[in-house]
Amino acid sequence: MTEIINQIFALDLKMKKDNNDSVNRYLDRIYHEFEAMGFQIINPIGQAYRNEMTDVEANIVGDLNHKSKITKVLKPVIYQIEHNETKLLQKGIVIVE
Amino acid sequence: MKTINFAIDLGTTNSLIAKYDDGNIKIYNNPLGLKQTLPSCIAFRGNRTVIGDKALDYLEKDAENICMLFKRKMGTQDTYFVPAIDKEMSPIELSSLILKELKNFVNDEDVLNSVVITIPASFDTIQSNATKKAGYMAGFKEVVLLQEPIAACLAFANTSNVEVEDKQNWIVYDFGGGTFDVALVEVNDRELKVTDNLGDNYLGGADFDNLIVEKLIVPFIEEKLGLTNLWKDLKSKTTSYKGLYFELLKTAEEAKKELSHYQETEIELEFDINGNDFYEQFMIKREQFEDLISSKVEQTITFIQDVIKNNQLLNSQIERVILIGGSTYVPLIKRRIAEAIGVEVDSTIDPTSAVVHGAAYYAGSKPTTVSQDIETENDTIKEDSIDFKLFYEQNTRDLEELITGKITSDKVSSFRIMRKDGGYDSGVKNLDDGSFSEFVPLLEGRLNTFKIQLLNSALDVVKVITSVAINQGSYNVQGQPLPNDICMEVDDLDASATRLEKVFAKGSILPLKKKIYKTASKTILQKSSSNLIINIIEGKAKGLPSSGLSIGYIEISGKDLEEDLIKGTDIEIELEVTESRDLKINVFLQSCDQEFKNVFSESERAISMNKINMEINTVLGDVEQLIRTHISEENFEYSQQLENIRVGLIETQISATLITDDDVSDSKFQLDDKKRKLIQDFDDLTRNKLIAKEIEAYNDTKSNLEYHLNKEENERFQDKYTRIIKNEREVINSGNKYLIRSKIKELDELYDSIIQSSDENFITYFLNLKFCTEFSNQRKADKLFKQGDQALEKEDYKSLRHIVYGLSALLPDYEKEKQKKFKDDSRTGLS
Repeated sequence: MTEIINQIFALDLKMKKDNNDSVNRYLDRIYHEFEAMGFQIINPIGQAYRNEMTDVEANIVGDLNHKSKITKVLKPVIYQIEHNETKLLQKGIVIVE
Repeated sequence: MKTINFAIDLGTTNSLIAKYDDGNIKIYNNPLGLKQTLPSCIAFRGNRTVIGDKALDYLEKDAENICMLFKRKMGTQDTYFVPAIDKEMSPIELSSLILKELKNFVNDEDVLNSVVITIPASFDTIQSNATKKAGYMAGFKEVVLLQEPIAACLAFANTSNVEVEDKQNWIVYDFGGGTFDVALVEVNDRELKVTDNLGDNYLGGADFDNLIVEKLIVPFIEEKLGLTNLWKDLKSKTTSYKGLYFELLKTAEEAKKELSHYQETEIELEFDINGNDFYEQFMIKREQFEDLISSKVEQTITFIQDVIKNNQLLNSQIERVILIGGSTYVPLIKRRIAEAIGVEVDSTIDPTSAVVHGAAYYAGSKPTTVSQDIETENDTIKEDSIDFKLFYEQNTRDLEELITGKITSDKVSSFRIMRKDGGYDSGVKNLDDGSFSEFVPLLEGRLNTFKIQLLNSALDVVKVITSVAINQGSYNVQGQPLPNDICMEVDDLDASATRLEKVFAKGSILPLKKKIYKTASKTILQKSSSNLIINIIEGKAKGLPSSGLSIGYIEISGKDLEEDLIKGTDIEIELEVTESRDLKINVFLQSCDQEFKNVFSESERAISMNKINMEINTVLGDVEQLIRTHISEENFEYSQQLENIRVGLIETQISATLITDDDVSDSKFQLDDKKRKLIQDFDDLTRNKLIAKEIEAYNDTKSNLEYHLNKEENERFQDKYTRIIKNEREVINSGNKYLIRSKIKELDELYDSIIQSSDENFITYFLNLKFCTEFSNQRKADKLFKQGDQALEKEDYKSLRHIVYGLSALLPDYEKEKQKKFKDDSRTGLS
């Protein structure tokens, strides 16, 4: 399932990049279905990066300091909710600058 | 006899921990990641110590405070000076920190006093003793060492059931991410012994990734963009390509993995370079990749040949080669070894975990000399004497919260906070004057649970607190809760009526927003007068739609549509209730590609007299029918209550006919209130009875079904039956008749398939049908009965089955009748 989510996520990024907003509705729907299946998908783009975040695998460009931000997300963070318990299913792969 | 059971692969780049449990090996996952491996890397950040994956973050910025590859220095006097803590750290101390971190992988209940730790075949006595010392420093009372190649052979032998009778020579080929080792192992029926080993500490799979970037990807980009010197620029500290280098390495690693399984793979490149968008793809064939890495692979082959030669052996005297280490997934390696040495090459064991796997087998057979009971008792006493106080918000709307703790014990010098889902780790931090304050990130809309460890100065865990939980997404004190459920009216085609579906539950805190996906339950042609109704109701979700207060009502008629709305297509409804209780409804019709937006404020309630009338009619029918049955059952008190409701409804209806839709006085609202009150009364009066009736029907269906299931020939249906009744208790306790009804339907379907699985089951049916008098064509039915009797006599049950079908078709279809009554204009169009 993670692979399907990753592909949808990549598709989403690509659509946004090409300013193709007309399909957002369908992508939202797909994300909604994932959520209904117990997957919480997080795109941490733009967030300040802290070393304590163990849900992302960061490739750090230059010095890591308190201003470091997540500038690119190659794979999203995926949590799975089962029996009301949350667990990390996939670490996000990000570039931090 | 108690055995050691726990084993650790203390690797140069990665470490693992496993447990032998009654014949099975469990390799523990890092609770803070998804991997079994822990990078053997430690970062010192002043008052904070970070171990594993996250320590690698500081590699670029703060290399002097990062310690890694210290296994290579075990048993030497070399130490690492760490400026951040102004202290010399020995390889033993560093290794002990890795071991302590691995202990964290294991459940808190398990006591770890004894452990098997693996060492390279090349370790001498001093290096081995150093490893033991690290183990004791990490708090183990007993440390047993085992050579890595032996562990790999054990993993192989235990998973493949090889019988060794005479003396044999095996080669263990260990090609990891950063190091390469080859060992010659002598195996006989009683023991395993490493006789020789060779290796290269600077040869590993990471070299393959770099080669793909340097020789394939970079030239491709250079050619497309007319650049030169890109490879050098990528790795230079001063250019802006730094991020790109990592990105390309990731791409190369993916490609390498793909090429281990497929003959070719596509590399897709997409990034911004010098302000331009670059998007290209190209194919890499496995041969290209193999050409690239072949010189590296040949180096390893030379090592194997050397180790064989050095021991005066011939290739033919080698029984098998066992592959371990992540890089051995590459098919070329297996092929080249087989060609060069001419022996069986075994890659059946998991190359990353083989060592710890084998070591755990060993640990499972090795008796321990430490008694565990005494130890645990001491620990509990120690733990109980630690007093602490924690402060934090239990409910918050923020995505970050502060946890503050005060510890009154001089035994505790540092702390560590981890979020239980694995998404956050503070690392080990020093206490400041016996207390700590830490901002922790929270997962949106979830209950975030934390584990807090208190550690002593040697970084041993002395207490674990697991009671901390913070609920993100709810207000702690302020915020307006919903006084009632907010629901949407939808069609229930099975019951041929409409029902309520809960959107927001009573007590939820405003503002609220939700998207609901429905399908159209009827087709609405363009320009027709048919309607799609979105009716948002405030009231009990279990009640009748007409018993609630309509707070938002949209009618989308065929005249509003730009295209036909086709049955079965999606309808997207977004509902939002703001803090000031405005209701926003946004409806999107997929098949028409059309959007309708409406905002409702409670003060301007929209009431349709037509709808009031329709609702009264529906309920009135039900009331009258109930009155008839109860009078015949002489239940006079109950029927009197029903009669009062009936009279009330009729009065309301009469008043309703006297008001026009454009009436501006309050009378519309008064009538609507009166109607709701009456229907609520009816609802309260009947709901429990209805549910009891449904439960009774459910139990009847069930016992009927069980009678058939108990027959031997129907055993194969048992599984499905168990699946259906699995959540029976929840369904019955839900008090929701629709849920119960749908369960009955599932049981009915199973019943049908059981009956239809054998022709003989139709005999009873046939005999029962003889009592029916409602056939639409009695003559035809009589004829079929005659044929049936003949079939029965001849024991021709197959024909009998078809006769039963024929007879059933002559009976009136109650369902259809009911559906016919569920007229188009009383439907919402949503299912």
